[in-house]
Amino acid sequence: MNFSFETIWHNLPYLLAAARWTLIISLAGMAISVIWGICICAARISSSRLLSGIAALYISFFRGVPLLVQILVFFYILPYVGLDLPAIAAAIAAVGLCSAAYSAEILRGSLQAIPAGQTEAAHALGMPPMSLWRRILVPQAIRIGLPSLINELILLVKVSSLASVVGIGELTRVAQNITGQTYRPLEIYITAAVLYFLINLVISRAGLLAEKRLKVS
Amino acid sequence: MELDLFLRYGPALLEGFGVTVLCWIVGSLGGVVLGFILACLYRWGPAPLRWVIYAYVEVIRGTPFMIQLFLLYYGGPYMGLVLTPIQAGILSFIVYGSPYFAEIFRSGFNAIPLGQIEAARCLGIPEWRIVLRITLPQMLVPITAPLTNFFIILTKETAILATVTVPELLFQVQSMMAETFTYVEPLLALSLFYWFMVTLTARFGAWVETRVTRHLSRA
Amino acid sequence: MSEPILTVRGLSKRFGDFEALRHIDLDVNQNEVLCLIGPSGSGKSTLLRCLNFLEAYDDGEVRLEGELIGWREGGASPRRALASGALRKQRQGIGMVFQQFNLWPHMTALGNVTEALMQVKGLSRKQAEEKAQAALEKVGLSDKAGNHPANLSGGQQQRVAIARAVAMEPRLMLFDEPTSALDPELVGEVLAAMKQMAAEGMTMVVVTHEMGFAAHVADRVAFLDGGRLVGVTPPSEIFGKEPEDPRIQRFLQTYRERNVV
Repeated sequence: MNFSFETIWHNLPYLLAAARWTLIISLAGMAISVIWGICICAARISSSRLLSGIAALYISFFRGVPLLVQILVFFYILPYVGLDLPAIAAAIAAVGLCSAAYSAEILRGSLQAIPAGQTEAAHALGMPPMSLWRRILVPQAIRIGLPSLINELILLVKVSSLASVVGIGELTRVAQNITGQTYRPLEIYITAAVLYFLINLVISRAGLLAEKRLKVS
Repeated sequence: MELDLFLRYGPALLEGFGVTVLCWIVGSLGGVVLGFILACLYRWGPAPLRWVIYAYVEVIRGTPFMIQLFLLYYGGPYMGLVLTPIQAGILSFIVYGSPYFAEIFRSGFNAIPLGQIEAARCLGIPEWRIVLRITLPQMLVPITAPLTNFFIILTKETAILATVTVPELLFQVQSMMAETFTYVEPLLALSLFYWFMVTLTARFGAWVETRVTRHLSRA
Repeated sequence: MSEPILTVRGLSKRFGDFEALRHIDLDVNQNEVLCLIGPSGSGKSTLLRCLNFLEAYDDGEVRLEGELIGWREGGASPRRALASGALRKQRQGIGMVFQQFNLWPHMTALGNVTEALMQVKGLSRKQAEEKAQAALEKVGLSDKAGNHPANLSGGQQQRVAIARAVAMEPRLMLFDEPTSALDPELVGEVLAAMKQMAAEGMTMVVVTHEMGFAAHVADRVAFLDGGRLVGVTPPSEIFGKEPEDPRIQRFLQTYRERNVV
């Protein structure tokens, strides 16, 4: 059996369409991850023992369980508790909630990297806490954490492949389906791999560009 | 809770756990060995070889583990590589892990101050002995934390092996779910179990880290 | 004074477009202490690092007891570096002490000294430890043999580094600003160890900012500026009266201003 470029050429449109879903899952997941991650990070560093403890538990649990299992839990548990979400929503929620645990830790690390003197200076100027966070700490934390957050997005592109398990027609699932029809796993999976690689290449290049733009001159 | 269910499926679950641990340990250790070889070739090898290794690292790190697994298991026979699910699982673990391990070793090599190597050269110590006696023992310190971290990531990746019918833990739980039509309890129990395993690995890593850094702290 | 043990002829070293060393000629005699002084960036450390080929010099020759260091003999052009084994052999005869000590932090003080004795000289552990103990005793650290570097002060670490080099019984010792990384109160103990070595007749080349050491211990002082050797004189010529060369005058002037409180 020789390598068939024709198979690739013929099925490329389907794979490209599926790659769009891969992007949707990872980008929507990333949005949830950052927003929810900020909340968890705030809880984690809050002075309330209870809030901080809950956040720590959340982070430990979501980082300690395979994402595939989390996706399955979401897929089966939501209908069980009466929430009839479409599978794609369950997958995005699982990816986002899991990734939020990592984003929270990234942001916490970035906040710690900001010299304490800046907070002291703001206090000395009588700046209210809200403006301290909004104007000084959060913008810097995102800047410092940007490389890690970009990394997290690349990770999400890769783990979005797990959504195939609950039947979502993203890149991996569609590749599986096409393989089932064509019996050309080598060609199809290599093409899928190339597409994943290209998506991640674009993201990492864009990330480098954004980093340069945001760098304090 | 369906406790009797877990009792009934106990042997299957135990077997699944055994397969999970087997794939994890053999796969990660293989990944460490291959990663170390790659890091050494990258450091001391000729330029063309370094380019090949660089490309390998980037490609593997830029693609999902699942796709690599499918390529190996389903695509393998077309390249003359017929593997059982467990073989494919272990081999894909080695391939998937090696570039991450290679990067960890590379940064470990770079973490040793050049002055220490120069001091050894001034005394006439041969290069390979410098690596063995000065570089490697000290590398343990900066690489223990990232190594543990990646072992933990790999623990969790074992679940993906279920997709190519490797009879590991998740696979056993899934067949149990399908046969008994209970979904929620088994999955929650499985989550707790993975959490426990990961926490245990993390603790062990922290313990190793304090041991290897002992000589660096003031008594 | 006896004949030179080390001869440097026409030594040049470039880093890209930057000429770090320009045509240096220098002799170091047997049992002599030669101090290299000069402003920072003048090439002192580069010159020292060329002497044991930590930096591969571009032109010229460095010879230790007649043997060309680092390059193969013969007029091949471009020159070919020695095989690693031969270079190691040469380096065994040249001890070096660094500004940053460069001890191996995962080994004890004793382990730092025995390492090369066992691996290079092929001594048994027992022989190596005896020899290392003697070397540590000489620098006043026999009671610290079991300590790791993290549990030693900077001055103690540097003395271990000296013991590590001396235990190999080199014919020549190189010191690269051995006290520059030390707290002021720890400088004295390291200089004392070096003085003792000088008194025992070790041939030493010392890059230093310690003018007191240069004035009292050195047999000759070499002054470098901008990669050139300005002059080599007995210390009394520089420190005793006003030096003739304006560059040396300027250097000493700024040096005095800095140190007058």
